[in-house]
Amino acid sequence: MRFIPVYIIFTPIITGMLVYVINKRWFNYSVFLSQIVITVLSFRYYEYYNGLIDRQILVLGGWDKVISISLRNDQLSISFIFVTIFIWWMVLIYSWEKRESNFKFLFFLLFIQGTFLGVIQTNDIFNMFVFIEITTIISTILIIYKKDGYSVKAGLYYLLFNTVGMIFYLLGLIFIYVVTGSLNMDIISEKINYMGENNVVVLSFIFIVAAIGVKSAFFPVYNWLPKAHGAAPASISALLSGLLVKSGIYAFIRFNQVYKIDMLDDLFFIIGFITAISGVIFSLSQKDIKQILAFSTISQIGIILMGLSSTSGSAYIGCVMHIFNHAVFKSLLFMGAGYIINVYGTRRVTEIRGVFKNMPLVSCLMIIGMVSITGAPLFNGFVSKTVIKYGFEGNTIKTVMLYIINVGTGTLFIKMSQIFFGKFKIKKVRSYNNKLAMFILSIVCIILGNFYIPLTKGFFGVDISFVKAYSFLNWLNYIVSLGIGYLIYKWFIEKDYNIIKKIRHFHISFYNTNIMLVTFVFIMIIWSYLH
Amino acid sequence: MKISFILAFILLCISIYGISVSKNIIKSIMLYNIIQSSVIIIFLNFGSIGASDIPIISELSENTANMVDPLPQALMITAIVIGAAITALGLMLSIKIFHYYGTLNWKDLIEREG
Repeated sequence: MRFIPVYIIFTPIITGMLVYVINKRWFNYSVFLSQIVITVLSFRYYEYYNGLIDRQILVLGGWDKVISISLRNDQLSISFIFVTIFIWWMVLIYSWEKRESNFKFLFFLLFIQGTFLGVIQTNDIFNMFVFIEITTIISTILIIYKKDGYSVKAGLYYLLFNTVGMIFYLLGLIFIYVVTGSLNMDIISEKINYMGENNVVVLSFIFIVAAIGVKSAFFPVYNWLPKAHGAAPASISALLSGLLVKSGIYAFIRFNQVYKIDMLDDLFFIIGFITAISGVIFSLSQKDIKQILAFSTISQIGIILMGLSSTSGSAYIGCVMHIFNHAVFKSLLFMGAGYIINVYGTRRVTEIRGVFKNMPLVSCLMIIGMVSITGAPLFNGFVSKTVIKYGFEGNTIKTVMLYIINVGTGTLFIKMSQIFFGKFKIKKVRSYNNKLAMFILSIVCIILGNFYIPLTKGFFGVDISFVKAYSFLNWLNYIVSLGIGYLIYKWFIEKDYNIIKKIRHFHISFYNTNIMLVTFVFIMIIWSYLH
Repeated sequence: MKISFILAFILLCISIYGISVSKNIIKSIMLYNIIQSSVIIIFLNFGSIGASDIPIISELSENTANMVDPLPQALMITAIVIGAAITALGLMLSIKIFHYYGTLNWKDLIEREG
């Protein structure tokens, strides 16, 4: 029972290796067995501690706590584990028909699941480095899986930029090791508390945040994301956008808990806002359906960062909820987009027409995803966005900023919803497992949007009954924001002015991105110097 | 402060400058390696401040106070292995890119769609 965290990490990795070695079609069904095993184990683990998991530390190898590797679980990480396993179920179901006999794909898919679960549970900062690097390498291989020129280009960009970012993590790790003499997060946290303000500690925090910022696509360093998420196969895009981006966000939460440095919080709020607004602007200018969704992921990351910048209070809880909600509806949207691209043979949002007439069920599921992400009451996006908004209460500027981003998201999905109208003849494609995965995800969207009060009470011990889905004001708010979005779309976006074309063709090359990264580090250093 | 520490720091600055201006993919990968090496040298130097002996207890050296810290060395071996994997994958991808586009220049690659 104590070693369940280890089993959860290694069951998928070992199953993946066996699938690769044995290389028989009937054996590939063992991936579902591995999924069932880790699902059952994680529920058993949650039950064993009566749902009151608080800093459950497992020291490995029988060494002293100071030098050994340890795993830690708390409320946050156990909920991340549940979401991870759930999204992997969906991706496996979605891609099963196509990849059933593809043992290489299954090997990488399961291996990356193990390493991602490692990132979530580790309590050792060097271990986290190793897990994040393995995740980067394997996601590169999954991004280039189609092996065409575009995806190889995106894959190389992704690999090099993320690893250059992780160099800064290594630098931060060196500084913190020199100052505290340990790599264990708990011991580092205690020693930092004991030492008080220290320039080296602040510098190491800045370096680590720079690396994590690359991983989770903060403002100046996000341009790997749309390339990589646009180029990958549909199921992998769903995985990358839904969960793997969150590995950076999760590390950000963890390191905020360790360092407890609050002098940069205002800067993070500003960065979050710029990330969100630039994600919306770039997304509105795109014509490729997957690029639109990828840039929308950036804007959602910005919203999450805006809330995380206040590490206590309801904005923080709202953000953690938004991470999970975003994982659900963004996976749903990417899967739907992949299905539509597969049927129509094109990715341009202006050429795809008449989806509703040809594929009513898929369209309904996509619409559920869209209303969730724009924050309609009774769907899950509404809950987390409202909690974030309550966290900003009393601060008019922050509330207005959030509203602007909401209107932008509304506009963007009005633009995308144009694919449902019109007429277009296609040949029918039958695929039940794709629809099944999307159906389950949309049901989860509705469940999370309706039964949020008992769920949050059970998991986080927080009462959010102030979120009222049936209130008239919330409905009015939603409809007005969609109305403004529609007007912006009709008067500005649809006309396709020159400036929109310019934004669409705006690309940043690899070496300029590195300048952005160094600038990002220097902005944080200057900000911390001024405070 | 040792001279090797200062040299490693200078190397880090030069290679970060290099990766921000170099337009060739192969050069970018090489510069990534140089950055990583300089970071490794910095860490190893921090581990051996005020110490000179190898961290192995034997008849010749029983005085543990004079030993270097073995943990940075163990960590950096892992980092080197990761770096090797990334270099191999990156070079493989750059070969593929050269097959598809006929160029290894970041600037040319942006202009070529598809």
